[in-house]
Amino acid sequence: MNVLRVSGWKIAAFVLPCLIIYSLLVFVPILVSFYSGLLDWNGIGDAKFIGLKNFEKMLTNDSIFWPAVGRTLLLAGVSMGVQLPIALCVAILISRYVRKPNFLVSSYFLPVILSVVVIGQLWKTIYNPASMGGMLNQILESLGLQSWTHSWLTEPKIAIYSVIVVALWQYLGYHILIQFTGIQNIPSDIYEAAKIDGASGLKADRYITLPLIVPIFKISVVLSFIGSLQSFDLIMVMTGGGPAHATEVVASLMYNMSFLSMKYGYGSAIASFLVILCLVATIIINGLFSKLDKRYS
Amino acid sequence: MKFKPLMIALLASALTLGLAACSSGNNGSASSNGGKNEGSTNTNSQTNSGNQEDTSKKEVKITFQNIYPDPSDPKYKMLRTVVSNYEAEHPNVKIELDSLNTDQQKVKLKTQAASKEVPDITIVNPAAQMKPFVDAGLFAPLNEMVEKNGLKGTFQEGILDYYTFDNNLYALPDGNNIAIVYYNKKMFEEGGVKVPTTFEEMVDVVKQLKAKGIQPMAIGEKDSWTGSFLFMNILLRTNGGPGFLQDVIDGKKTFEDPAFTEAVNAFEDLVQAGAFQEGATSFDYNAGENLFKTGKAAMYFMGSWATGGIEESTANENQNVGVFKFPTVNGKGNPNEFMLAPGSAFAVSKDSKHLEETLDFLNYFLINYPKEMFNLKGAIGLAQTVDGDFKAAGYSDMAMEVLNLFKDVKGGDLAFDNTMNPGTAQAHLSSIQNLFVSKTDAGVVAKEHQTAYEENKD
Repeated sequence: MNVLRVSGWKIAAFVLPCLIIYSLLVFVPILVSFYSGLLDWNGIGDAKFIGLKNFEKMLTNDSIFWPAVGRTLLLAGVSMGVQLPIALCVAILISRYVRKPNFLVSSYFLPVILSVVVIGQLWKTIYNPASMGGMLNQILESLGLQSWTHSWLTEPKIAIYSVIVVALWQYLGYHILIQFTGIQNIPSDIYEAAKIDGASGLKADRYITLPLIVPIFKISVVLSFIGSLQSFDLIMVMTGGGPAHATEVVASLMYNMSFLSMKYGYGSAIASFLVILCLVATIIINGLFSKLDKRYS
Repeated sequence: MKFKPLMIALLASALTLGLAACSSGNNGSASSNGGKNEGSTNTNSQTNSGNQEDTSKKEVKITFQNIYPDPSDPKYKMLRTVVSNYEAEHPNVKIELDSLNTDQQKVKLKTQAASKEVPDITIVNPAAQMKPFVDAGLFAPLNEMVEKNGLKGTFQEGILDYYTFDNNLYALPDGNNIAIVYYNKKMFEEGGVKVPTTFEEMVDVVKQLKAKGIQPMAIGEKDSWTGSFLFMNILLRTNGGPGFLQDVIDGKKTFEDPAFTEAVNAFEDLVQAGAFQEGATSFDYNAGENLFKTGKAAMYFMGSWATGGIEESTANENQNVGVFKFPTVNGKGNPNEFMLAPGSAFAVSKDSKHLEETLDFLNYFLINYPKEMFNLKGAIGLAQTVDGDFKAAGYSDMAMEVLNLFKDVKGGDLAFDNTMNPGTAQAHLSSIQNLFVSKTDAGVVAKEHQTAYEENKD
């Protein structure tokens, strides 16, 4: 570290303010949250220390918790397994065939900057029953596919998928932007050299674009995974976790427990679980990608 | 690059806690928006508190958290009129309004309560819902204040009991409502049906309207208390009178009591007859009510607080909307027993820096409240008696009908979440919401309730 020729103390002095603020805003709340998870507390009155009972109940004796975890992972899985590949394809196509791609990329990016509340309301209207002006059902009816119509947000088996579609739609542009930027950063002389060697089109994608975009793709994967684990606002706006917990995810369950059921300690236990889940998943993703990195570099 | 996984793990936890920190924001970090506001109000009251000896001359700032943020609501206007009148009479007092919608206010108050920074005046809900706050010793008793200027005499008899704990009164209500059924007269004519006098007739009416292609009832079941409110009215009938939940709390009954399962079955009859609009569980309260207000549904079960809004709506053109009492179920119950909804209420923080001035202002506010509301034609369903000739003041036929229903009230029950603890209430709400989307055996519903109750009781 002596490249800079500055003493360690000076580095510490400059890093410290940020570090303090960061730990106050990030690590202290995590620890407090873990601690609150050990309490039987309604958030207002006196708290009672009950050890790991909240965690025990959450993991072994809560009929809502594991399905909520399942739905959260489903959302994460779909967004990594479906959304990211689509985003990658679109990004490759745009960078190859579109001459002035910025406008197109910005258009795809538009839903990301819209407020989730607006998007939620918009899609609620689209999903409405045909009699209430729901666009999707009206289209299906006009195509003669009455049997395909559903009340998308209120049938317990379908509702979560309807919400997931919206989440994917909203963040697709975000990942297109990230990956498009990644592709743009690949030096064009590599492609030119490959062309001389006879590799263009799909072959160039397979042997140049994909390996070189791995680091960027990893960012996309981590972001989409963590984003999915935290998904909360869209659920709140569109279904509120209902009907009868059919669209409950971990974050909305945490909110409902802490603020509606007023079991603040229990809600904190769920929050702690979410933190651990995020950490474990991030480490796994990193492990996988470092293998991938090694293979291609 | 061995630090990389660690760095990304840190980044990940930072992102997660963007969310998690919001929930733990009341533990000291001011990361949420609510936290920031709260901080600033606190600084205000501290800088203005100064020394307490000569407060009569000193600048006094009172924070008044309220749930009247909607300019089309008569209460919005009333609040500002009364406050500016008071400020004119007391130049040293400044009332700072913190107007939030109901849900925001609930969350904000809980956040504030956790750090013991309750605003001078705030809003709470009656009975079980305000009990945790009272138990935490956050509110000042209003026993003395309510005697001043005859304020106590303006309140209806018995209403203050819902806000009294251990003989101490902790809040004063802004309303007292009952649950009624609004109906669209024209749509009833088109459907060839009459106002039902029993629940069985009501189910028939639903079927007949449905057959004529008229949407029978509207509900905003995304806010799950709406369905629960209706269900509880059925239970009030099948139980042959009020007090079912209290009996459960006292250990005299369980949720597996026949009265409860009968109510579940009756409720499911109504749902299965197709009473409610498709996708009801994704309609929030306003969206559900709008179906009725815009003449797209024939009946609407709601508290009488909806009267003002429905009065002004297109459905009520030419005095087209009428009201009726919720009928008997299987011949049981008394239609004069209503679901009662004692309103949200004003409570005063015990740690207020200007307790004396705050109490004085609240006294003034509540004495003037019914008068102003009467002038603004919003005096239906107040907790206080209102002097004045409603008919002459131009209140509509429907409003007069509602007022007459109030005269028939012979007791009743409070909503589920006003009687039971929050944990049980949430389980109940989602159990009832589930009945809208899947037919469930009444025994199973009863069992769900009983399990939730036993898990959550202290």
